[in-house]
Amino acid sequence: MEERFCLADYLGALGIGGLTDAPADDGVLVPGAPCHGCSGDGVREVKTACRACIANCGVIATVKNGRVVSLKGNPEDPMSKGRMCAKGLSGIQALYHPNRNKYPMQRVGERGSGKWKRISWDEALTTIASKLMETREKYGAEAVFCSTGGGGNPEIWSIARFCNIFGTPNWFEPGCAQCYLPRVLAYTMMYGGVDPSIADSNALELYFTEDTPIKALVLWGTDPSYSCPASGGGMVADLRAKGVKTVVVDPRFTPDAAKADVWLPIRPGTDVALELAWIRYIMEHKLYDGEFVMKWTNLPYLVDVETGFTLRAEAGKDGKPDTYVVWDTVTNSPQPLPYPWNDALQPALEGTYEVEGKICKTGWQLLWERCCEYTLEKAGEICTLDPKAIEKAIRIFADNTPSGLAIGVATDQTPNSVQAAMAAATIDLLMGNVERPGALLQRFRTSGCFDMPNYPVPVAAGRLPNEQLKKRLGGRAHKGLGIWWAGHPSSVLDAILTGEPYQPRVWIDRSGNKLGATADSQRWEQAIQKLDFIVHVYMYPTSFSAYADILIPSEEWLETDMLVETCNTLVARQAVTHLWETMDETLFWSKLAKKCGELGHEACAKAFDAEYMGHDLTYWDSMDEFLSHWVNRLGMSWKEFAAKAPIEYLPKDQWRTYYVYKQADPKLGGLPGGFPTPSRKCEIYNDAMITLGRTGRPFSPIDLEPADEDYDPLPYYMEPVESPLTDTEYPLTYTGGRVPYYHHNTLRNIPWLREMYPAPELWIHPDAAEKYGIEDGMWTWIESRRGKTRGVAKITQGINPGTVYMERFWNPETLNTPTHGWREMNVNMLTKASAPFNPQVGTYTLRAFQVKVYPADGAPEGVWLNPEDFRPWLPIPTEPTKEVQA
Amino acid sequence: MKQFTFVVDADRCIGCKGCQVACKLENTVALGQGRNKVCTIGPDGVYPDLQMYFLTTMCQQCENPSCVQVCPTGACYKDGEDGVIRIDRDLCIGCGSCKRACPYDCINTNKELRVSDKCTLCAQLREVGEVPACIRNCSGSALYYGDINDPDSEVSRLLAGVDPAHIHTLRDFGNGPTVRYILRNAQWKDVMPQDCIEHSVWKKGVSKA
Repeated sequence: MEERFCLADYLGALGIGGLTDAPADDGVLVPGAPCHGCSGDGVREVKTACRACIANCGVIATVKNGRVVSLKGNPEDPMSKGRMCAKGLSGIQALYHPNRNKYPMQRVGERGSGKWKRISWDEALTTIASKLMETREKYGAEAVFCSTGGGGNPEIWSIARFCNIFGTPNWFEPGCAQCYLPRVLAYTMMYGGVDPSIADSNALELYFTEDTPIKALVLWGTDPSYSCPASGGGMVADLRAKGVKTVVVDPRFTPDAAKADVWLPIRPGTDVALELAWIRYIMEHKLYDGEFVMKWTNLPYLVDVETGFTLRAEAGKDGKPDTYVVWDTVTNSPQPLPYPWNDALQPALEGTYEVEGKICKTGWQLLWERCCEYTLEKAGEICTLDPKAIEKAIRIFADNTPSGLAIGVATDQTPNSVQAAMAAATIDLLMGNVERPGALLQRFRTSGCFDMPNYPVPVAAGRLPNEQLKKRLGGRAHKGLGIWWAGHPSSVLDAILTGEPYQPRVWIDRSGNKLGATADSQRWEQAIQKLDFIVHVYMYPTSFSAYADILIPSEEWLETDMLVETCNTLVARQAVTHLWETMDETLFWSKLAKKCGELGHEACAKAFDAEYMGHDLTYWDSMDEFLSHWVNRLGMSWKEFAAKAPIEYLPKDQWRTYYVYKQADPKLGGLPGGFPTPSRKCEIYNDAMITLGRTGRPFSPIDLEPADEDYDPLPYYMEPVESPLTDTEYPLTYTGGRVPYYHHNTLRNIPWLREMYPAPELWIHPDAAEKYGIEDGMWTWIESRRGKTRGVAKITQGINPGTVYMERFWNPETLNTPTHGWREMNVNMLTKASAPFNPQVGTYTLRAFQVKVYPADGAPEGVWLNPEDFRPWLPIPTEPTKEVQA
Repeated sequence: MKQFTFVVDADRCIGCKGCQVACKLENTVALGQGRNKVCTIGPDGVYPDLQMYFLTTMCQQCENPSCVQVCPTGACYKDGEDGVIRIDRDLCIGCGSCKRACPYDCINTNKELRVSDKCTLCAQLREVGEVPACIRNCSGSALYYGDINDPDSEVSRLLAGVDPAHIHTLRDFGNGPTVRYILRNAQWKDVMPQDCIEHSVWKKGVSKA
């Protein structure tokens, strides 16, 4: 008779009619498993995909009478292979959280008073659209700005699309230039294929772990065990088990660092110095792939040192690239090198030459001159590393090819961001680690069901009038943002605070908590006070909601539909249930555009005209309509697809296409197609950066005013603006980084996760702890030049001694107090939103700035730490509802 | 006699603690309680020469279980069919003797039902041909289970391929823990689960201002 108490029996015994299948709200029983052995009435399993982070792992949800009762990983997913992490497994607690945003709400008290009234969807949309139209009429569409963020069932392109169609150039993401975009930009411009970010579901070569011949993997500023345990974390574990050597570059002794052959605990913010030392060592010791470098990179091409541009003998015709110029060592003269190669020539790789009175150097020569001061010893000194350990790491990488360098988010979080990504790309390209089996840089085939990267909503960039594009805040200085058609957060912030060059007035945000996610939160709070109208779209209220005028309830991932491509497989995220009056965000933006159209916005009205919209796709009235458009390419409706998914759209051997650059291209008369760059070679010397800075091309459809300074074609090291070398007041360097319980600012309201990690740990080396009077487990102030907040000290040998680590946090339990939950433990009160910015993309300083630490009297007032404290957030049983029809 | 138990490849565990949530979801374990726990062992050594590994702990399915010996009602027993230690909730009086007797702190309390609660290798899932939830969802594929007394079982074959010097158990007090830990790439530490404090906030107790 043991174990007979299944959840249903228990609740049934309590006589709670109608609740017997529900997650319990008795505070102790948490949402339960299906009652195995009970009658199977109304029980079904739905194959869907998680969205607790951006990894989209395959999930099987068990649904009983409309209620989700269990989740498990789906083995059909080629990346997660049936595994599921703590974040995803908490999906039921997120779905049935008692504090979900349930209906559209309008503020009735003062901002921040927490007083709201329920309104209808039509009222909400009409109120928002009317305010948008009024603002556009009085001040121009650019006075409206929208924002998104990567956390919590993230929506990206819908926000950009709405802005383009509404006519404002101002949408931003606090990730973007601080997360992933620097890498996307560098790899796109230098190589033209997909970047190697594991946490962004790339490096797909590695997921068929039994097949890949990779021998050495460098995890640089990335920790798949923490950022994406079920997909990348498991994959790296498989690789290690089959003998792949690993190197980890990270100030923290993470799980992947602990398992690495070499751990390089770098001083935060000095990555480019270390990368330049790797490049120098590889060049000096001739460890590079000479054949590839000569024939498939632009390093032999001559560069006019005065202009910084490569020499061109002839403009390209008939789709062929320009003819560049090399120094031929046979004739000792400059010679044109018609694409792709001329066996009669023996180009010099290095050297300085005079061509028609101009001093020219090869790209290789310029790269060497850039990195030659960065010896192992010099890098060791800058990065606080042992030169012998650096050498050992380089040797593991360079002596064990095919190898690969997976660069993570860490380097995206300082103003040296794009340079770090360029240097990382350079390292792999020098080694020829591109498009060969085992390499991370690949152009594998895709399903063809997407026109956009990662997410199918067409951004409709061409719908933004050119005059409006020119008004993009930060768009002139940081033209690399154009690759995602994005604005610059700090330029928006400055415009709000100063009114220059114009005053932004209305903000629509969909993300977890902008006050937890944007640098220098205090200044954002000041900015918020200056705005006329704020809308917050999210699944539950966050600190940001406290300042909003309208709250829009969006769907949790278990309520949403989306098409997901996972290696050679297409997965359907599909609505497993639907609660209250929540709406899929991808639908919300369409509804808002429709309402603006009804109120007289011509472009919004025309966005529903299929013929007019063409490839930009007409706006949709339902997710079924939207998703059917894409899976129609497979000859299926969304419903048909969802019933069959996951489907393998290509066998893995056909999906993996190696050496794409060598394939004959009919458009080039049968010549190899090369790489999708201007020269069709890997452009390690990236003079396209100069053009980007001066015009915005190739991402801008028009020539924009030049940036103040040219963008450098080669990576360079920039010492952090606040540096331990010079700072005596703030002696320690801050770094951040993920824990496996949360994605960005999400899930701090989940009992199962908060009971494991109730507050952010502040990692500090024993020597520093002793010096500053910090004891293990002590509540500790951490303070920068911008603000101070608290964390719990963890004294550990596993951190660079000059560094402290603390992850982002906010406290939903103090949402209705004067702090609104964002001041207690929020490292973004310390981070720096002001210059210097990365030239290309405007990255500000989220890591590698200076702090001091000192003991605090105790925990912040009102925060929850004991497991039992989280009882009020246990799920409540909720009947499914029909989708709202706004 | 069959002895179903866990074999844990500690080299593969990546410390994500997904198994703890998988277990709570499957087995309706209360806040503050757990049937399993991932312990962080280390970092040990002096910066930067360190080692660290993760130790997933759960009921050790002992050969001579002290929890069974002390149970006054016979509720806690070793199943003759699979060797898994189970608690019959109808017989359990919630006295907590088993919890106190367990050397590894692997029994928790279901306060509402006033009974002791522990890992059964998800008996309810095994009955319907599924694997325990922690194993199913393990991100590192570090967890295995099976009959350790059957030389042809997956776990026995796994262990047969490992140098015996790399196979460990938790400290044996004569109770004969059957869970096996494989650790090749770090030095095994004799650590008890209850001595592992996984979040620093618990190191000084919870001090509220």
